[in-house]
Amino acid sequence: SFSSPEEAAAERRRRKRRLRIEPPLSSLNRTQQQTQQIPKPIQNPNAPKLPEPISSLTGNRLNLHNKILTLVRENDLEEAALYTRHSVYSNCKPTIYTVNAVLNAQLRQSKYSDLLSLHRFITQAGIAANVITHNLLFQTIMIKGLVDNGKLEKALELKDEMIGINGFSPDPVIYHYLMVGCVRSRDSDLVFRLYEELKEKMGGEVVGNGFVVYGGLMKGYFMRGMKKEAMECYDEFLRENLRGKWSAVAYNSVLDALCKNGEFDEALKLFESILREHNPPKSLVVDLGSFNVMVDGFCLEGRYKDAIEVFLKMGDYRCNPDTLSFNNLIDQLCSNGMLVEAEIVYREMDGKGVKPDEYTYVLLMDTCIKENRLDDGAAYFKKMVESGSRPNLAVYNRLVDELVKAGKIDEAKSFYDMMVKKLKMDDESYKYMMKTMSDVGKLDEVLKMAEGIIDDEETEFSEELQEFVKGELRKDGREEELTKLLEEKERQKAEAKAKEVEAAEASKRSAKAVINSLISPIGKKEAETESGANKNAIETSFANKE
Amino acid sequence: AASHFTQMRILEIDPNHVTFITLISGCADFPSQGKSLGPLLHAYTRKLGLDTCNLMVGAALVDMYAKCGHVDLARLCFDELKEKNPVTWNTMIDGFMRNGKIREAVELFDEMPERGVISWTVLIHGFVKMGLFEEALEWFRKMQVSKAEPDRVTIVTVLSACANLGALGLGLWVHRYALKKGLRDNVKICNSLIDFYSRCGAIELARQVFEKMGERTLVSWNSIIGGLASNGFTEEALEHFDLMQKQGLKPNDVSFTGALTACSHTGLVDEGLKYFDIMERVHKISPRIEHYGCIVDLYSRAGRLEDAMSVIQNMPMKPNEVVVGSLLAACRTRGDVELAERLMNYLVHLDPGADSNYVLLSNIYAAVGKWDGACKQRMTMKALGIQKKPGFSSIEIGCDIHEFVAGDKSHNKSEDIYSMLELLSFDQALCGYVPEAMAKDMLGNG
Amino acid sequence: PAPATAPPPSVNDLERLCQEGKVKQAIELMDNGVKASANCFHSLFEMCSKHEDAKKVHDYFLQSTFRGDVKLNNKVIKMYGKCGSMADARRVFDHMPDRNMDSWHLMINECANNDLGDEGLELFEQIKKLGLEPTGETFQAVLSACASAESVEEGFLYFEEMSREFGISPTLDHYLGIIDVLGKSAYLNEAVEYIEKLPFEPTVEIWEALRRYARSHGDIDLEDHSEELIVSFDSSKAAANKIPTPPPKKYNLISMLEGKNRVTEFRNPTLYKDDEKLKELREMKTGGYVPDTRYVLHDIDQEAKEQALLYHSERLAIAYGLISTPARMPLRIIKNLRVCGDCHNAIKIMSKIVGRELIVRDNKRFHHFKDGKCSCGDYW
Repeated sequence: SFSSPEEAAAERRRRKRRLRIEPPLSSLNRTQQQTQQIPKPIQNPNAPKLPEPISSLTGNRLNLHNKILTLVRENDLEEAALYTRHSVYSNCKPTIYTVNAVLNAQLRQSKYSDLLSLHRFITQAGIAANVITHNLLFQTIMIKGLVDNGKLEKALELKDEMIGINGFSPDPVIYHYLMVGCVRSRDSDLVFRLYEELKEKMGGEVVGNGFVVYGGLMKGYFMRGMKKEAMECYDEFLRENLRGKWSAVAYNSVLDALCKNGEFDEALKLFESILREHNPPKSLVVDLGSFNVMVDGFCLEGRYKDAIEVFLKMGDYRCNPDTLSFNNLIDQLCSNGMLVEAEIVYREMDGKGVKPDEYTYVLLMDTCIKENRLDDGAAYFKKMVESGSRPNLAVYNRLVDELVKAGKIDEAKSFYDMMVKKLKMDDESYKYMMKTMSDVGKLDEVLKMAEGIIDDEETEFSEELQEFVKGELRKDGREEELTKLLEEKERQKAEAKAKEVEAAEASKRSAKAVINSLISPIGKKEAETESGANKNAIETSFANKE
Repeated sequence: AASHFTQMRILEIDPNHVTFITLISGCADFPSQGKSLGPLLHAYTRKLGLDTCNLMVGAALVDMYAKCGHVDLARLCFDELKEKNPVTWNTMIDGFMRNGKIREAVELFDEMPERGVISWTVLIHGFVKMGLFEEALEWFRKMQVSKAEPDRVTIVTVLSACANLGALGLGLWVHRYALKKGLRDNVKICNSLIDFYSRCGAIELARQVFEKMGERTLVSWNSIIGGLASNGFTEEALEHFDLMQKQGLKPNDVSFTGALTACSHTGLVDEGLKYFDIMERVHKISPRIEHYGCIVDLYSRAGRLEDAMSVIQNMPMKPNEVVVGSLLAACRTRGDVELAERLMNYLVHLDPGADSNYVLLSNIYAAVGKWDGACKQRMTMKALGIQKKPGFSSIEIGCDIHEFVAGDKSHNKSEDIYSMLELLSFDQALCGYVPEAMAKDMLGNG
Repeated sequence: PAPATAPPPSVNDLERLCQEGKVKQAIELMDNGVKASANCFHSLFEMCSKHEDAKKVHDYFLQSTFRGDVKLNNKVIKMYGKCGSMADARRVFDHMPDRNMDSWHLMINECANNDLGDEGLELFEQIKKLGLEPTGETFQAVLSACASAESVEEGFLYFEEMSREFGISPTLDHYLGIIDVLGKSAYLNEAVEYIEKLPFEPTVEIWEALRRYARSHGDIDLEDHSEELIVSFDSSKAAANKIPTPPPKKYNLISMLEGKNRVTEFRNPTLYKDDEKLKELREMKTGGYVPDTRYVLHDIDQEAKEQALLYHSERLAIAYGLISTPARMPLRIIKNLRVCGDCHNAIKIMSKIVGRELIVRDNKRFHHFKDGKCSCGDYW
């Protein structure tokens, strides 16, 4: 009754699949009738996919959500994102809520590229985004666009697009970001334009969380030299403060505006009142940013002791300094001739469980060198390499240069030996060290270095470098030695290759021997195949024997 | 035995039913000779009236005819039996299954007055023997529904069906069942379990079973060696091979197949040849086709195609599909058309009907851009009426086996399946994967 | 089957089964002709969670003498709602001879529970049209319908209407209702703002609701914040073994000031010899993946071929395995022929993408695909 064999085959397979081979102990309990299939409503494929409601966050999908949240708390974001991805390929697809949790955590940890790649992935996987996803994505693009590339134009375009096309209500925080960007590019006109636009979009008056833009607005006034207007803004901000509360973002930006524009006393007053209000953090909160702003403020005032004190106090407010804020303070101290204090702060990192990064070490190294503590500088470099951080070539060159200049040739060479294995150096760095060696008459070392370069598969021994080595050797009339070395290396290479071939041959020979031994029963076989008649004859004779 | 019987006749000692049973089963075990001798014996028993009255003689006769391929005669004998007991029924069913007459076997089974465990087992075993594993499992289920308790033979049979289907879920259930029935220490069951687990790719479980065994037979060792080898655990397989000998067991041909498979899996050419040599020289085991297959595979893998070719040409038996396939596949990877052609010419003499070789050769042509050659091979296949075997894949989900062929849309979740594939292909593209659009899929596996 | 001597099952047996919560057996007894009492129906309606059972019990109910009982009918609505069958619930509701306010409330609530908030709101409009007097409870139901429909504006409108038109002053439950509306609609910031502006000191329930939504939407900072406040109400609510929240690391202008993010300067693209990137570069040069165009058959259009490759049986089996099992569970595929080269490649990559071990047995050997590699070492 099938119109085509394919159909019949399909039916057969369908039947086969129905064939349950489940252990009957459990299948006996099951009702015999097949559970009826509920037909899926036909959906218009062109209709935009709606995000799933929160009620979809139940059962296994809720378990998955909680599992991912735990990973987020353990700060294993890589695993959280990976598990989310892997779950897409399973019978328990993650909800948009779980995805948002991961995206949020990624944003929180500044893992922008991971965030964008996860977002791209879920779009492909057909998990419809909801408002929160859009917000997160937008924040990411804004922050990334502004901080990393200074692409203010692009960010403005994006804002228009989001508000215009997607119909999202304007988020003052986004305006805040944009205004910070304007301040950075010293465009006060744009600051005011954005402010007006926001005011208009909010119905003619900035209310509620709209005050987040006040810091930016004040900076705009300050930039134009309109100190009075700026302070009026601040007064308004304080007045509104009594009515509600805003995020730390709003305060931090106002604090920053005050600090940077000679109103540090006001800033300090505000900061102290925030701290008082913080307990419990019901209506006001401080965050790491608040402390960073204040540390900067104190430093700007030259009150470094206070800066350190306020920095160390932040632990009392559930804020933990990160590498960045440590670096900030260390930088301030270093560039103001307070290396000793900077080193105290540096040692504090260990106690707080914060890992110094390249920036930290290089800051300390450079400052040590500047203050004629070359050995300490070198020690920081060494520590950096040992702790797994990766200084770049420029830093290495800087250190080696200083060491050579101070006549510490051996030490410089030891850093070369340490880094040459790890760092992909350029010709200039090689030349510098060779020249140094040659200058102190250690041509053997130069040759050894050349040999190292030849042996290193990662590095190409360029013509130019060869010429350079020859030039150095020529000074002592030993230029032939390089040619000899190169030839020797060629020979060694060829030898190794020959050995390989030889080994292959040998195993081939041994195999031949085995084949010959295999062939021994072949005599019999040939008899069989060559004369079929013969075989028959044997069989008949066999039968006859019976 | 036959000559003894003649002697007995000469001495005029009347043979009784025991004699006949012994003789007739003797015939059954050696069908080629039994074919002529069996009917003579039947005639003799008939004269004595034993064939229809004595149950055991009757059963033996049925068995004999069935084993000799004369299932119709077996049925005749069966029908003529005056009395039947379960043994005769089972023997008859076995006879039908042995000769591929499923419908008759099932009909007979349905007619049976009482069905014991053995009847069920015989039927299931028959299906497994014929490669109808799903059917075997379906009958196993029916057996359970009918509340018949499977015995150890049933368990071994079912496990072998599971092994072939990769039905890990069901096999695990059978394992638990065996444990519940106190068959933990049954060597045969443990051996089947090792084989079953390793054939499902669950080598860890196979290893566990092996480790926990109180006594191990040669079969246990062979199973674990083979399992480790085919799953790519070469070193471990070879270690077990040595360990077995240290424990005083002599490796047989199957053990060597395991060791050679292990070598071929990781391309240990020299070791493989060494084992081959030891097998013949020390253990006096003459190599079988599997062993040659491994050697060919070894050479092909190492790129020593000529060596592989000479093994094929010189082996004492006709090379089978597996042996040739290894070399042809290697020709394809290396793009060695000339050798492939030579090989095909050699093969066409031996067996013109094997499909996969044509497919492979035409793929080789396609791979090097010789479209004419590829087309010619396809034409030859068509002309000879050779159809390529359809490829199918199966997966077990929650004790259901789901089977798919290429482009299959008959699954009730096919919509989800296809959208999953599309999603995967997106991500694969991101990983730099570009589908290799090759001739193979037209001709190849699917 | 029961022994012949046993007395036929009676209504007492049925009541006992209902008390013991044995729905299946209870239905069986009814199938055997035992008539259920009002009590039986009452508890059965409570217990049924499968549509199949619900349908059956309802059928027996319709045959019984209690079929006009409003309270029991209300129970039926609730039961169908619980089973996710709002069509049935609606039918019962529409055919009820006399409904009370509870019927309306139940109906709206069940609509909300089943993601049919809009329908729930329509019902409320009907209430008003019929001139019925809504109560505080009605508005609770309405707010949960708004939450389900994610309609924030309407939520606030109804909230206002409640006191303005009907003189009902809002209770804590109504405020919680608004928080639900905001929370379910993913308006977390607005919810926080709303809580801060409440005309009374927010209670612990409110913070708990906020924490719940913070969790759902994955905002761990907000979750911690509400948790801190909850603990300040009742220190026993502090989670004993809570994982400390990782500190945020925002390299942005708010937490960090301009120009300080210079780490990149010190981490500039100097290549290290053990860099993955460098390795990749090298591998690409020496025989990485280069699409092999030699194999393209000229007489078949490219797209069709790719399709054919994509839908090879092993890939279908894998895809089915994926959608049927939890993440990271290994899959076992059995194939009767050799795996083709392209599928082998594809499955290798798949194993990495999906994060699973894919075990394929073909007619020749096993392939354990894991993390982008195959145990066969690319020889098959």
